[in-house]
Amino acid sequence: MALVPVKIEKDGKWLVGKIDLQQDSMNVVEPFKAAIPYKSVIDLEEKKNVLIITVKGDPPVIYRIASVEKVLQAMKRFIAMSCSAYRLMAYFMSPAVRGGVMVTNATWEKGAIAVLKSTIWFVSQNKQVSVALKEVTSMEITKKEVQKNQVDVLKLDHMENTDVVTSYVLCPLSTLQILINFLKDATKDLEITGEELDPVAAQVGMLIYSGMDSHAIEKMLNIPYKNLDEIYEKLLKLGMAEVTQVRREVQLTPKGVRFITESVKPPTQ
Amino acid sequence: MGRILIVDDTLFMRTLLKNILFSGGHDIVGEAGDGDEAIAKYQELKPDLVTMDVVMPKVNGIEALKGIRAIDPNAKVVMCTAVGQEQMVKLAIKTGAKGYIVKPFQAPKVLEEIKNVLSS
Repeated sequence: MALVPVKIEKDGKWLVGKIDLQQDSMNVVEPFKAAIPYKSVIDLEEKKNVLIITVKGDPPVIYRIASVEKVLQAMKRFIAMSCSAYRLMAYFMSPAVRGGVMVTNATWEKGAIAVLKSTIWFVSQNKQVSVALKEVTSMEITKKEVQKNQVDVLKLDHMENTDVVTSYVLCPLSTLQILINFLKDATKDLEITGEELDPVAAQVGMLIYSGMDSHAIEKMLNIPYKNLDEIYEKLLKLGMAEVTQVRREVQLTPKGVRFITESVKPPTQ
Repeated sequence: MGRILIVDDTLFMRTLLKNILFSGGHDIVGEAGDGDEAIAKYQELKPDLVTMDVVMPKVNGIEALKGIRAIDPNAKVVMCTAVGQEQMVKLAIKTGAKGYIVKPFQAPKVLEEIKNVLSS
């Protein structure tokens, strides 16, 4: 159907090659030969402009393929629509909200949702959006106004780099319920169990979410660093946060004090 | 950069917004804890932009927005809503809000929205 140029990873090296994209399979024709029926694909991830395709087998075979956007788009569409996954036809809007700000010109796309081993794919003719399951932060069925009617939609919050993004899925309620149950099962490792956060810890969480650093949080909540550190420890233990950097506080030694004192003296004539 | 009035009934949210907006180089000219106070402060301070919480005691954000628009039809008001208040968002836009942000929000996105509204 179409012979497309790609770079494909083999034994840790990126090799220039060609893939024949067919309706039901993609076939690597250069630099080696391999047939990849779409229905044998059990996982599809996207990292920057590289597709990571996992094909069932014992052990599963992983292909890493890079190419131009147009080629990757076609591959994503073919694979997501035919691979081994939980899939349903639906409308989706992704992203609809980014960092708390509505995305202007966000529109409903008619397409499909495919839930694979590690990734959810929103696929339409013109758009393919992937959401790693480990990046999903919350999901719920809620009401949204569509063409002046209140309809049931699935609201999915997820991380995209450092942004918190909201996407919506629209399809009949019974299908939404099946989808949310499936997604809940697929993301059960991320469920919050155990103790809840006290109000101050929840406020700290909100401030971290908003992008505040430790110094700003201490000042805003008027709490000493020791208390803040204890809250951080709790968030870390619950798997709700991760350490991005450790900042140090220092004081000057006599040598440092001497240097500073000397440096501020007026120059002698 | 703009002169901004922050309206929210919780001190925590006001402080958070103040920090975010200040870090973006804006001047916080005032704060209000309800809609009545917001209208009075708008008249007194004539800010370039108002961030307005929707759900507040006494006079809510939508009523305050109407009050401010009655004083200044060109007022730039950005509504702050919690998730699941989409009806409020629609109403706010119909009433003349220039933008809206959804809680919880992230600092860079808030600053981007504020910048867009200020330059509109």
